[in-house]
Amino acid sequence: MSVKFVPVQWTINKWLYDAVLIALVAIYIWMFIRVGNAAADVTRPVDGATVRMRAFGTCAFFMLSFILAIGPLARLDKRWLPLLYNRRHFGVITAVVAATHASFVMGWYYAFSPTDAYEALLISNLAYNTLVGFPFEALGIFALLILVILAATSHDFWLWFLTPPVWKALHLSIYAAYAAVVGHVALGYLQDVKSPVFPLMFAACALGVAGLHAAAWWASRDGRVEAGEWVRVAPAGDIPDQRAVIVALGGDERAAVFRDGISVSAVSNACAHQNGPLGEGRIVDGCITCPWHGFQYRMQDGCSPAPFTEKIPTYRLKLEDGVVFIDRRANPPGTPVAPLVLEGAP
Amino acid sequence: MSLAAFIVEAVRVYALIGLCLAAIFLVIGIGRITPDARGAYVFRPLLIPGVVLLWPVVLLRWTAIERGAEGGQAPYLPPRRAQGFVALGMAALVVAVVAMVFAMRSEPPVERAPVLLEAPQTATGEP
Repeated sequence: MSVKFVPVQWTINKWLYDAVLIALVAIYIWMFIRVGNAAADVTRPVDGATVRMRAFGTCAFFMLSFILAIGPLARLDKRWLPLLYNRRHFGVITAVVAATHASFVMGWYYAFSPTDAYEALLISNLAYNTLVGFPFEALGIFALLILVILAATSHDFWLWFLTPPVWKALHLSIYAAYAAVVGHVALGYLQDVKSPVFPLMFAACALGVAGLHAAAWWASRDGRVEAGEWVRVAPAGDIPDQRAVIVALGGDERAAVFRDGISVSAVSNACAHQNGPLGEGRIVDGCITCPWHGFQYRMQDGCSPAPFTEKIPTYRLKLEDGVVFIDRRANPPGTPVAPLVLEGAP
Repeated sequence: MSLAAFIVEAVRVYALIGLCLAAIFLVIGIGRITPDARGAYVFRPLLIPGVVLLWPVVLLRWTAIERGAEGGQAPYLPPRRAQGFVALGMAALVVAVVAMVFAMRSEPPVERAPVLLEAPQTATGEP
């Protein structure tokens, strides 16, 4: 994180992540053009421009599928978390690949149109009342517009400027974009290709993304929340050292109860940066560290260490018969709360 | 002017206004609303596409911040429940589209029976 909007030094992991990603995109494009398209056995002979637009289009579909799979995968298994750290670069590169696909489409199908190319794009197929031959281009335009907006607002300035809830809500439109991309591919290329390979890969990706989101939602849904001011968290010994137990407090609120040796403290489970699940992170250098982008908060007051200024709410805790309870009424962000001290804990 | 021509022209005008606002906002406005941007110039060109795409929102937020208005919902209150439902809606839609499209693909090509066209008739009834 950076306290001002100035460039920061990228870690070797970020360079590696981007290098591997760009290399994989290049290999996929090369393989599709050299091998994949010949095996597709389409109904009509295919020219080079069409091959290139299909290479970039299918690449963007697979990339978007993988981006949408990272979130639920990391939620279900923490070993996927490293892929989450640099997901915004993944998204920006996907938008570039999708825009390249669109530029090939415009440069081939509409280059010699007597009317304006963009106008021709809008009027070339108006069969919106039929499924077979549906103007799938409209779905692609919609998805590309969302991808470009999300890529354009991926800088942290926008998070601050729009406020995190608005930014987060805007970026939820990625789900609408994915549904549109699935429709775009399904009603477009999938209706043309004869080989079963791409249709099977398409179905596996689309259904895989759908299944992972359903599984992650099922795994993270809240159980019944107890009534009253104090909510049972867990026996003190069940809170893993340097990590947290997440507890639902009713409504949309969740708290993360962290243990650092014999000290136990509770903060909001939502990071003030991008609402990452703090309770799935761990304590690094004495600070609660968000698993998404490494934002840090002190356990005792929910404040980021200086010079950073982020603050999150804290909660009061109490110990009864070896069981930790939390007061569901959140303190204002940055309120100091003395940690609960566990006698005799390791 | 056709509807398509109107839409394309409207998008061009929208983008042109966005470019003008981007120039003003990124040169003058951004330093006024956040001290974190003062003396930081490298990141500003990265914001141009976002300002062009969302300039009405930029204008609203800029004026709100200049007036000292609150930023809305607190940053630590996520739209968590909404996200779950939106993701589930996407999943259901994707499954429906995949099922529908594979059903479409399984159908054989529909060939229309040939129709014998009549030759144009003259006034005398002769072809």
